[in-house]
Amino acid sequence: MSRFFVLTLNGLTQGAIYAAMALALVLIWRATKVINFAQGAMAMFTTYLALFAIDHGAPYWLGFVIALLSGLLLGAFVERVIVRPVESAPPLNVVILTLGLLLFFEAIAPMAFGGQIRSFPPAFSIVGLHLGGSQVAFSPFDAFTLGSVLAVMILLLVLFQKTNLGLRMRASAFNPEVSRLLGIRVGRMLTLGWALASLVGALAGVLIAPTFLLYPTFMDQVLVYGFTGAVLGGLDSAMGAVIGGLLMGFALSYVGGYFGSDLETVGALVILIAVLMVRPRGLFSLQRLREV
Amino acid sequence: MATANLRFGRLVRPTLNRHLLLALGAAVLLVAISAQIGAYDDYNLTAVAIFAVAAAGLTLLTGLNGQLSLGHGALMAVGAYTASLLLKDHELPVIVVLLAAVLTTGIIGIVFGYAAARLRGPYLAGATLTLAVALPQLATRYKSVFGGESGLAVAPSAPPAWLGADFPPERWLAWIALAAAVVTMVLLANLLHSSVGRTFIAVRDNEAAAALAGIDVARTQVLAFVISASCAGLAGALFGYWSGVTAPAGFGLGLSLQLVTAIVIGGLGSLAGAVWGSLVLVFVPALTSGMASTLNVPSSVANNLPLAIYGAILVIAMLAAPHGIQGALRRLLAMARARWAHIPAGGKKGVMDWDDPAPDL
Amino acid sequence: MLEVVDLTVAYGPVMALHGVSLTVADSSITTVLGANGAGKTTLLRTISGLVRPRSGSVRLDGRDITRLAPEEIARLGVAHVPQGQAVLAELTVDENLRLGGLWRRDPNGQRRALAEAYELFPPLASRRHLAAFSLSGGERQMLIIGRALVARSQVLLLDEPSLGLARLVLVQIMARIKTLVAERGLTVLLIEQNAKSALSVADQAMVLHLGKVVAQGAAHQLLTEEGLRHAYLGF
Repeated sequence: MSRFFVLTLNGLTQGAIYAAMALALVLIWRATKVINFAQGAMAMFTTYLALFAIDHGAPYWLGFVIALLSGLLLGAFVERVIVRPVESAPPLNVVILTLGLLLFFEAIAPMAFGGQIRSFPPAFSIVGLHLGGSQVAFSPFDAFTLGSVLAVMILLLVLFQKTNLGLRMRASAFNPEVSRLLGIRVGRMLTLGWALASLVGALAGVLIAPTFLLYPTFMDQVLVYGFTGAVLGGLDSAMGAVIGGLLMGFALSYVGGYFGSDLETVGALVILIAVLMVRPRGLFSLQRLREV
Repeated sequence: MATANLRFGRLVRPTLNRHLLLALGAAVLLVAISAQIGAYDDYNLTAVAIFAVAAAGLTLLTGLNGQLSLGHGALMAVGAYTASLLLKDHELPVIVVLLAAVLTTGIIGIVFGYAAARLRGPYLAGATLTLAVALPQLATRYKSVFGGESGLAVAPSAPPAWLGADFPPERWLAWIALAAAVVTMVLLANLLHSSVGRTFIAVRDNEAAAALAGIDVARTQVLAFVISASCAGLAGALFGYWSGVTAPAGFGLGLSLQLVTAIVIGGLGSLAGAVWGSLVLVFVPALTSGMASTLNVPSSVANNLPLAIYGAILVIAMLAAPHGIQGALRRLLAMARARWAHIPAGGKKGVMDWDDPAPDL
Repeated sequence: MLEVVDLTVAYGPVMALHGVSLTVADSSITTVLGANGAGKTTLLRTISGLVRPRSGSVRLDGRDITRLAPEEIARLGVAHVPQGQAVLAELTVDENLRLGGLWRRDPNGQRRALAEAYELFPPLASRRHLAAFSLSGGERQMLIIGRALVARSQVLLLDEPSLGLARLVLVQIMARIKTLVAERGLTVLLIEQNAKSALSVADQAMVLHLGKVVAQGAAHQLLTEEGLRHAYLGF
């Protein structure tokens, strides 16, 4: 297997995770103009919940569902109870709020579940598949990772573009005031936005936990690279976020593979700055008439 | 013409005089305090001074100029490594080391500032975030120079002979740090009240209008970034002396985030706020870990309780006191004044102050 | 019928409206005039629920709607079209139109109303699936009115619909509004800078100055009262 091919496959599967996190961040950003720095920590928490269930005898898939459902509920709760009151505060305050949440979750997880590093079961085998007689660095679990992230994205796309609910959510994100004047219960749409974003984050958590192992700060890296990917692609565009996340995956894989893992983030930084110098609002930023 | 100069002189000097006087008073007070307290408290006082220096620069950048940086921890690392490298094989006077750190970090600030001059809001946040994570990795990569994971040791600065043989080195370091903090505060306070400071605010509040008024926006952004970077560099060098070792682990993303939380909790855009925030940053974890160790709880709880409490404080503070400690103090003062003069305190939560910071994210 | 009773609105220490009262009868157009900053927009924003008044009340067909949330007031049939970007530019024409009536959950009625709107405004039909930001000023106004129709709103609060429109388009829009009022018994509260055109279509008029009502009555009467015209309307 050529080095490049291995790195590409690796970049693809990792990139899918970063893309999912980027998507979660962009969903929230578009709805409420907030960067939810606690998204990774929330996903960590839901992954711990899944492991808790599995430890107590639940089959893997029940744990999986528990992670996703608790993600949904947690996102709704955080928006409604914690973020909603600071809607009208200076934006930096909300940043600090989410940072506070991040620290809080990262502290109570070890208190509730113990701080030692745990392993998390993968949904499918992680042994490389056999294609054409040789073993490829791509396992059934990798396929599942790609597949589920893709499935979630397609579902969200259908939701937003083809349903009335999605229409209401898009309207609420684009112009909350006018949407309220059209009879849309914008508050509920925002809560739903956070719930869905958190669901996506929870999915990212259970998908990456087998590789990264489960410990309180294991999602920090996913958050950072997911955020960078979202910025790279352009925070205004969900598609941009996904592509940005994938690009991050590839960049980190190639730089890490050819130049050493220590330089991974440096490479990502260089690429990010290079892109942002040319397109300060990300690759797929829309040239809004009023912004120019 | 001569009369105008005279008037101008009389106008300008009072601000500088006022700041210098305050600085002198603060210096005397701090020296007196540090003389009374023990080594552990001197240690904490030094930490507060260090964070205050970094926070002051950051609050200038983020509060006054509207640029959010999540990477100032990395800039502190630059200052710390500069100090460590200089001190590796030679013994140098503290002031030389500190100035060198300021210079190096300032140069990095120029480079990054120019690259990021067009970035706004979350895009700048993303770029600085990546910087925060990337820079420490360089230290691990180039082990021979930077000492890798274990880092470089920093020889403590010995107190000068004229202070006496028993003069505690912790107090000496506290004095150095406090002096640095006071000098920084005076310089930044003067900057804030000058036309440069007003330019920062103008660009933050309305970039288009500022550009139309003839302000070179990009240069303003870079200048603000460089100044804040220099402060971070100074703080970083002091941090090196304080912790005795400069290693990548000490300058992770957490440090950058701590600085941001400090300036918002303290009160964004205010130098006093930088001080309050630094106090919170140092003393809340110290108090809560002290508290946690006295409670009879399992170690997993005791170890993480300080962090949980700190996180909870951040959340609650943002819900209850959106303008931070300085904002709350200002409000209390306004209410007290109003009570005395029987005037309605006016306004809703907050403040229609002309200098009210409102950075756009 | 829309009633505003002794409305007082303040933004912090700044008084925007002082004891404003007015009644807008069904099937009529009332225009609110006055200089910039007189409080006209505040009046509309208070009626539609975006702003809470300090005192006073707003009644819709006898029902007190003062403290209701904007989305609830909208569902009662009040369509507030704010100044400027009332069109959701990122969404398509069709999506914009549909938004008005979504909450009714009446897909058949919705389809009929949509078809009606397209019939009324052919230019919209031909741009059905284009993003709204590609529409011209006049077409955007059509979209807004069409949306209010699809929502089957009975009360229209229009904030300077003529802004940025060519004179000819403005005249057409006004005529259209007048027709709809007659045909469907709509109640319209109209803010206009162009006092002359507003007074020519309106039944009733009210002049605001620094948050207070300085003149109120039949529109044609206001046209003839020279003193008032000169003082507050600039012609």
